[in-house]
Amino acid sequence: MIVALIFILALLLLLFGFEMLLVLGLPALAYKQSFYATMPDIIVVQKILGGIDHTTLLAIPFFIYAANVMGSGQIARQLVDVVKSLVGHTRGGMGHVVVGGSMAFGSVSGSAPATVAAIAKMVYPELRRAGYSDKFSLGLIVSSAETALLIPPSITMIVYGWMTGTSIAQLFAAGLAVGLFLGLAFAIYVMIVAARDKVERSPRAPWSDRLVLIWQAKWALGMPAIILGGIYSGLLTATESAAASVVYALLVELLVLRSLSIKDVFRITEQSAINTSIIFVLLAMGGLVSYFVTLAQVPNQIINFIMAADAGWISFLIVVNILFLVIGMFIDPNSAMLILVPPLYPVAMALGIDPVHFGMIVTLNISLGMITPPFGLDIFVASSTLGKSVATIISGVGPFVVVNLIVLLFITYIPQISLFVPRLIFGG
Amino acid sequence: MLALNALRLVERSFIVFTFLAMVTLYFASVVAREIGGDVATSFAWIEEAVRMLNLFMVFFGLGLALERGRHVGIRNLRAKLPPAALAMALKLTDVVGLLFSVYIVWLGIEMVQFVMNSGQRSPTLGIPMGLIYLAPTIGFGLLGLRYALSLFGLIDRFSGEEAAE
Repeated sequence: MIVALIFILALLLLLFGFEMLLVLGLPALAYKQSFYATMPDIIVVQKILGGIDHTTLLAIPFFIYAANVMGSGQIARQLVDVVKSLVGHTRGGMGHVVVGGSMAFGSVSGSAPATVAAIAKMVYPELRRAGYSDKFSLGLIVSSAETALLIPPSITMIVYGWMTGTSIAQLFAAGLAVGLFLGLAFAIYVMIVAARDKVERSPRAPWSDRLVLIWQAKWALGMPAIILGGIYSGLLTATESAAASVVYALLVELLVLRSLSIKDVFRITEQSAINTSIIFVLLAMGGLVSYFVTLAQVPNQIINFIMAADAGWISFLIVVNILFLVIGMFIDPNSAMLILVPPLYPVAMALGIDPVHFGMIVTLNISLGMITPPFGLDIFVASSTLGKSVATIISGVGPFVVVNLIVLLFITYIPQISLFVPRLIFGG
Repeated sequence: MLALNALRLVERSFIVFTFLAMVTLYFASVVAREIGGDVATSFAWIEEAVRMLNLFMVFFGLGLALERGRHVGIRNLRAKLPPAALAMALKLTDVVGLLFSVYIVWLGIEMVQFVMNSGQRSPTLGIPMGLIYLAPTIGFGLLGLRYALSLFGLIDRFSGEEAAE
């Protein structure tokens, strides 16, 4: 009864547009006072701080910072130009450039909204000029950015790895295959639409031009080498590679390309610090919520329920996907993960699901949550960067959600897609 | 409003320089480790220092984020309310946010005292652990201040609302 009231409280706070930190924090406080009143109140502060005081999580501010530097400077543009010279002439042309460009930027940034912010303005006018409809162009930009969450580095995977103790390096390795798979699925859909709408192709760039562009982008291309090379050679941890990527991005943009001034750097630093605050206060409140979820033995209750119903991992994963899809529609994906992973992860383990595979299912769901209306972060970012109404963008997202759900089915029920790269690298 | 502008300048400078310090220190520790040997061990305190700096940066940014309408929240439905009801909803958000912030500050002060009295110190830097709890205490203070200012109509935190990144 009291639990039901607390759920209603959370729902009301959510619907009336209260800040997410209150939507997570207040029900957690109410729960504590109702069921653990004798516990000292200061535990609340301890759990809030404990939710974010961890070295692994330091990768997040650094990756946010690096992405903002690259997006404001020249690195993002150079990466997109290289992709354009390579695939612009194919059937689908600019459409593939958007998918490929998002993946390229995703290989240096770990955030889908940062990817939308970085490339939307660059590619939107060209998509329209090539003959793609407004709806399709917007849907494509918003959805392609999802691949940035899957292709390493990935902020979502860092949070998942920290919450569950799964190896970040293994998650990143798995994300590479899943990200490519999703990108490929979008590319196929782009080809179908391009054929139907008779979209123009860009002229084929001769190899001499391509090599010139690749050479010009050499500094930009050094970025994935540092991040992925650093992590997989065992030289750097994810957090260390994130710090190195900030220094590298700043040096390249400031000194080599001279695309940013010192004043820009201060502005970007401030913006990145506030972006970090926004995410970390949710992680902090999430620390509080997951503490009580664990105390209440929610995972055990789910396991008992599944045992009683004699359901296996197949039906469990259907439920997981539906939960994430529905909750991801209404609350922001990062908060969804903070609420859902603590109770579901132990159940997944009890059913013998591989932690890396489960991580891919969660990450793909989180990235899907970035584009599902009414509350999709990527949609809002695209709306503010391109000055298009949220409603127009939502109308273009539909088909991509369907493509995404098909990919999700594959990833969920064919664990090998997620696991073959980590096994190749780490054995086992 | 002069005081508020001064506060903003302090907050902004604090988060910017803290972030720059975090990057510099952490990168230096990576370089030191690659060099190896004695240099590396003498940099062992950096990880702890950067983690603490991050805590202070995160919480000190809360107030600015609220003032600029940057905290994540779902405003689609609220936007459909009639003007009078909307005004009420916004005031209610401010009141609830203010009470929540004040409560966390109060618990934070208790926590700081409790841990200070326990004499617990951080492993490598030897800083009294109680000081770390100043981060959420001050941070929620700054957040609460913005909720209060908004409640009394001294700042407009809603018009600039945009999507979080």
